[in-house]
Amino acid sequence: MSGRTADVALVVPAVPDSIAVIRQTVSGVCEALGADPRVIGDVKLAATEACTNVVLHAYAGTGDGSIELDASAEGDELLLLVRDHGAGMTPAPMGEGLGLGLPLIAALTSSLTIVEADGGGTEVSMTFALHDHPTEP
Amino acid sequence: MSGEHDLSTAPELRARLHELGETSAIIIDLDETTFVDSSILGVLVGGLRRARERDVPFGLVLGDQAHPAIRRIFELTGLHEVFPIFATRAEAQAGLSEGEPA
Repeated sequence: MSGRTADVALVVPAVPDSIAVIRQTVSGVCEALGADPRVIGDVKLAATEACTNVVLHAYAGTGDGSIELDASAEGDELLLLVRDHGAGMTPAPMGEGLGLGLPLIAALTSSLTIVEADGGGTEVSMTFALHDHPTEP
Repeated sequence: MSGEHDLSTAPELRARLHELGETSAIIIDLDETTFVDSSILGVLVGGLRRARERDVPFGLVLGDQAHPAIRRIFELTGLHEVFPIFATRAEAQAGLSEGEPA
């Protein structure tokens, strides 16, 4: 896989039904790259949680907006960027959610960076190792 | 529950759990479920909380053939230690009727 790259860019409306589209897209990218099944599951979950945050928080009250996804791979690493141009990072209001989204993403990724997107909003950058590397006995 | 569930299906699951308020027991079979996210976990925790308030037994079925992604999110979040989890529906029905803590 060394040196292999794949680039996918997608822009979808920031609505709940778009989350499955993002999930199937990243799943397809992972399968094309020959990622391990566990990794595919982790990438799907992390992407879902990042997009859910966008839908719930980025454009709250405005009724529109978009989710931007960039996926690229190099060597054994997949990079996912989930970007919005909404309100930016704000303290989450207390709701029925468990507040597990970001902790889950942190647990599922090799690295996680959250920055202000160019032009405003939030960009979540996530990397994943495409293959498990079991410890030598 | 079968297939994939996320923010788009969470409202329907929440509504169905509300409809089951006065039932004798609530068992949610996750063996045919291939994906859930934290939105769904939030609904399940809310359902468990309401069930406990009403003394209604509440359990999940997560057998050996369950999708690995389902096991993984429960283990990552520690919620596998919060819910009563059974290997089969029959075991869930028997366990919950025998007074398994809801």
